[in-house]
Amino acid sequence: MLQTLLPILIFAALAVGAAGAVRRIRLWRQGQRTPMRWYRLVLMPKRYLNDLHHVVARDKAIAHTHVATAGGFVAAMALALVVHGFGWRNPILGGLLLAASLCMFIGALAVNRRRIDPSAKLSKGPWQRLSKSLLAYSVGMFLVSLPLVGVAPTLLGGGVLAIVLSAVLVWGLLEMVVGMGWGGPMKHAFAGSFHLAFHRRPERFDDNHADAVHDVHRGSRSTALFPLDLTAKTLGVEKPADFQWEQLLGFDACVQCGRCQNVCPAYAAGQPLNPKKLIQDMVVGMAGGNDARYAGSGYPGIEVGKHHGGPNAPIVPQLVEAQTLWACTTCRACVEECPMMIEHVDAIVDMRRFITLEKGETPEKGAAAIDNLIATDNPGGLDNASRLDWAADLEMPRIQDRPEGVDVLLWLGDGAFDMRNQRTLRALVKILRAGGVDFAVLGDEERDSGDVARRLGDEATFQRLAERNIATLSRYRFARIVTADPHSFHVLGREYGAFGGDYRVLHHSTFIAELFDGGRISVEAPAQAETVTYHDPCYLGRYNGEFAAPRQVLAALGLEVAEMERSGYRSRCCGGGGGAALSDVPGKARIPDMRMEDVRETGATTVAVACPQCTAMLEGVVEPRPRILDIAEMVAAALVEPATASTTRTSTEAPEEVPA
Amino acid sequence: MPQPEPRDTAKMPQRVKTAALVSSGRHPVSGRAGRAREDARAVEMGLSLVGADLSLAHAGDPEQASLRESLQGYLGMYHGLDDDRDGQLSLLPLGEGGDAVPLLAAWLERSGVRLALTGQRAECGEGSGMVGYLLAERLGWAIATGVAAIEHCDGERVTVLQALPQGQRRRLEVRLPCLIAVDAVAEAPRQSAFGPARRGRIDIVDDLLPPDESPLDADSADWHWQPARARPKRLKVVKSTNARDRFKAAAAKSSASGGQVLTDLSPEEAAEKLIDYLRAEKILAQDDQ
Amino acid sequence: MSVRRIDPHAERARRNRLHPRHHEFARPAWRWTSADGVTRVNPHALGAIGPNGVKRIDRSGASVEANPAAASTSAEPARRQIVLDQPLGHVVVVPELPEGRLNDHDRDLFGLARQLADGHDLAVTAVTFLGGVAGFEEAGADRVVDLSARAGSGYDPVSRLAALVDVEAGLAPRHWIFADSLPDGGDLGRRLAARLSNQGVNHSAGGARPATRVWQLSEGKTLSRAGDRQDILRDVARVLLALPECAEPVSETLHEARPIDLEALAETPRQAEVTTAAAGMVDRGRVAVDPQEIPLAQAPFILSAGRGVSDWEGYHHAARVLGASEGASRVAVDDGYMPRPRQVGATGTFVTASCYVAVGISGAVQHLQGIAKCQRVIAINNDPSCDMVKRADLALIADGDAVLAAVCRRLGQPREQTGSDGSWTDEESRHAAA
Repeated sequence: MLQTLLPILIFAALAVGAAGAVRRIRLWRQGQRTPMRWYRLVLMPKRYLNDLHHVVARDKAIAHTHVATAGGFVAAMALALVVHGFGWRNPILGGLLLAASLCMFIGALAVNRRRIDPSAKLSKGPWQRLSKSLLAYSVGMFLVSLPLVGVAPTLLGGGVLAIVLSAVLVWGLLEMVVGMGWGGPMKHAFAGSFHLAFHRRPERFDDNHADAVHDVHRGSRSTALFPLDLTAKTLGVEKPADFQWEQLLGFDACVQCGRCQNVCPAYAAGQPLNPKKLIQDMVVGMAGGNDARYAGSGYPGIEVGKHHGGPNAPIVPQLVEAQTLWACTTCRACVEECPMMIEHVDAIVDMRRFITLEKGETPEKGAAAIDNLIATDNPGGLDNASRLDWAADLEMPRIQDRPEGVDVLLWLGDGAFDMRNQRTLRALVKILRAGGVDFAVLGDEERDSGDVARRLGDEATFQRLAERNIATLSRYRFARIVTADPHSFHVLGREYGAFGGDYRVLHHSTFIAELFDGGRISVEAPAQAETVTYHDPCYLGRYNGEFAAPRQVLAALGLEVAEMERSGYRSRCCGGGGGAALSDVPGKARIPDMRMEDVRETGATTVAVACPQCTAMLEGVVEPRPRILDIAEMVAAALVEPATASTTRTSTEAPEEVPA
Repeated sequence: MPQPEPRDTAKMPQRVKTAALVSSGRHPVSGRAGRAREDARAVEMGLSLVGADLSLAHAGDPEQASLRESLQGYLGMYHGLDDDRDGQLSLLPLGEGGDAVPLLAAWLERSGVRLALTGQRAECGEGSGMVGYLLAERLGWAIATGVAAIEHCDGERVTVLQALPQGQRRRLEVRLPCLIAVDAVAEAPRQSAFGPARRGRIDIVDDLLPPDESPLDADSADWHWQPARARPKRLKVVKSTNARDRFKAAAAKSSASGGQVLTDLSPEEAAEKLIDYLRAEKILAQDDQ
Repeated sequence: MSVRRIDPHAERARRNRLHPRHHEFARPAWRWTSADGVTRVNPHALGAIGPNGVKRIDRSGASVEANPAAASTSAEPARRQIVLDQPLGHVVVVPELPEGRLNDHDRDLFGLARQLADGHDLAVTAVTFLGGVAGFEEAGADRVVDLSARAGSGYDPVSRLAALVDVEAGLAPRHWIFADSLPDGGDLGRRLAARLSNQGVNHSAGGARPATRVWQLSEGKTLSRAGDRQDILRDVARVLLALPECAEPVSETLHEARPIDLEALAETPRQAEVTTAAAGMVDRGRVAVDPQEIPLAQAPFILSAGRGVSDWEGYHHAARVLGASEGASRVAVDDGYMPRPRQVGATGTFVTASCYVAVGISGAVQHLQGIAKCQRVIAINNDPSCDMVKRADLALIADGDAVLAAVCRRLGQPREQTGSDGSWTDEESRHAAA
């Protein structure tokens, strides 16, 4: 009986699954169309085996589980199609099918063990069921295939047992094949492979990247936001159908593993953001319906099940509250961790763009910052001519006086208006002078890089600032730009390219490391041993892959770095990125306080930072707390003046600031 | 984040044709053109009163490069209303040295506006704050200045709150048609969004006055414009003919009196000192028991 | 003060010590006021013989400071009385008179008027809508027109304007001077200027177009502040709306402030009384404003709390009792005790309160920046060394919660105790024991 039933079952499941898949593809193609390049599907296996598993393998246990389960399933399915579907009942193939089912069964057991007491990051509901379905499929396929190798052929010939067995197999096929097309948990395999093939950022899979740093850290291969066409009919994303179709496809690939939820600083702080739920909400919006069937952790403080959406219904506030979008610090921790390589930050900024550009509902302080950027070129609304006031005694060389060009253009950033950051800048100038660097500044011709405006969704203001800065920079000659602000570093180096500004930009930590390497500056050993730790800024580390240089500098200072549990590409955000400090979404804790807890756990008395925003956020933590020093300040303090002291100025000594 | 409130029908049960007269603003620090602070508040007041029915007008030189940008700033405020109409602004062409009052008066009369909102003072040009008064005088309208909020407007009268120093308010009832000069303490204007600003229409209305009647502002011909000087700080005036006292007063550091620090106080004593101080400074009523 | 007659012979003899009749005219006093009001000192007539037999004159002023009463009398020279019987015209000043008194701005206006009037035989004429205002003599008014009968009790610019138009008809002043402050003098002045320009009244040079925001008068021209960081230098307009400190107030002369009866002067019949209803504006009176509703940036009196406050209910109660707006330090906001819009400081709101009471705020730089414009700062803090105490005009070193509770009790409105929270009763009992 099973001999006749099996092909019917398999082909029926495949047919129904395929119908669902077509429907699913239609759902994705509701998004903004780009031409469908089917040939890209051939890229999928390499991307899956290489790039995706690179991320998955960060958790060895789940990686092995997935290899066993997924590999076993794919093999078992293919063999079952040949053996049972087309009836080529070869004992060798049968043996292989049995082995594949067994392999899948072992994997499924591991999955089930993980699901006995699932951690908070995992979604339940259908995903709990999937673990059982995996068992059903593998067991069913195993038993059904036993007769092929001549074991227990009579036992399964007919009767009640056969009916039970076919029921188990039907369950497995329904989940694994039909569910894949119709939106069950197995959808991730189908959508995921398409997503890998049609990913919006192919650079992420490009192993022949020009930049060595970005090859070491794959997450930073493509981190620039996509420019927005300001002449488009609607600006930004109002409804799910406004996303690019590849983005919708990406949302659909989510496996709800909750890694993003685990690393999201806003979620940890109790702000109403959960990247996993956000992606699931996008899926709800794409397919239509409400979020009542979502079986994972929701947004802190927002009840699950009260929101609904449709492909052409506005996202905010029916589907997602604006607060959720404004809580994001754009730290990219979720993108870094996502095994399906989903781009959460792109989606959030796309939706912010609509809120800011079309609805004019940027949170109050963010709106004020944007207005200031429009009127004064800096977010504080200060006179741009006062950008160099802090350096009145430093006799800063101006690039305007150097028509022949300089080696280094020192980009000050908006930290030049902040008293705390001026200390860092002074220290940096002292280092540059000690190293005999040929540098100059733009002075009042420098404008905000546009980072804040862009992350707040005001692409119009960003593009205006970018164009003006590029026009300014094109008038002067310099070999490279050095900046102490990772945000400017990222925007100048990686986002201006789309507007015709290609520069060689270095973060000051990289540049100082270079000075050490070249033996151009020397420092004295620290008077007493001190434990320091280093906080990786998101825009330096995750965005641009620079983890080594700051640590090199600290090592050159003779300091022992006690790493925080979350450091390097897993560094936790300070809470100041992406305009989050301006939108100031209330939560249960403050992100910088949590980060300071991480620092305290290392027992460090000083935390080295490399970003003005991180400095400001961490210094906002109520004392007593470890000291916060920029890398430049630490180097400047330990600097040994070279023997030719006549060329250095004593006036570059940073004077004592009045303590805040 | 404050959601923009939809048009408040309770404030205006009967539609009254409302317009906001706007000018090109100048940022106090950079001098860059943009929305004028008070005019933007006038537009905000108008939008919350009549929604997208609010019409805008500006008399100025259409050729001026920065003008369109500042006017779009106002059009960018047409969002968060209960309809999707884009903003519309009538630009009344006015050459250099022209007089805006006859143009605006003709426009107000032609468009049947009965409630006109505007800021108190322009941020560029003379900035005398006279336009509203001259318009009201010419049209025979009432004018209320320093308005912080519109409480209610029936078809006949509008009830407004006038801003007084230190956050105090006075309620006024003004008959329509009238001109409302909005104070800087009125509700902050909504953000000007790029999309609506781009879509908003600027229509040039150049047939308001017969062509020979080109309004010219003759008075200002012989004025001399110069960059603003910092106003000298007034020294403490010493009514003394004694050279020593005058010298002492001139040389003394201003108000560096240094605070009084009282230590070792019980809470009761501290409370007494505090209350005495507040009473002496007339912040608390002398004796309100 | 009568006019002093000078005998030139006697003066000469007094100045010349070698004059044979010097002793006859020499004054015994060491200090006197000369004819033109300048204090003269005879150094020979003062000083004392020191221990070494040398005469010493003590110029340190120690003797003056030792006797403040004497110092003040000597420091305030008497004013000259100016009488103007037949003025050729009028410079009319319409003072603000807040709370029924001349304020500094008003005195500046009179100073400006005197600059325009002196030397041209013009009278400075004060037009007042309040009866019984004192101090016009010292302020510098030659004439006073009392229009209190014409003005209602409330805010009524329309009937005030009608009264001013009558003054215009009766006196035809050369200049009108108003305080450029809204919604009072600035409003009335602009109304008058609009009325005059619309009537085509154009008596003298300058036209009817007012000069607004006038801040200086020099060499027959006024400087007025225009928009966009520009000044306008122009001839003196008929209607001037002047900013505070536009001129030095009158300090050396005393004027008559002789009342003018406008009725008698009026040649034209008085304009029909404008009824307020027809005028289109009715004053419905002041609105009681809840201190918490006032935007923090404008609030006149702020009770601000920081980390030193632990009894938040008590703090809110104290703010209600004192009628103060609530403010907070960043930390208090971060900790969730106060909403973000209440944060004072560079990262919150810049406040302009005339009185700012900081309870338990140590005074971070950003916070001190935010209160830079506050006139009076009171700090209540446990730590006498903190920056807020250094900034404060009055610093009370005590526990904030306890002081606020004591303030409420002293003002007769203690907070009803819920029983569980006894932060100040403990304090009190400790006191009773002490």
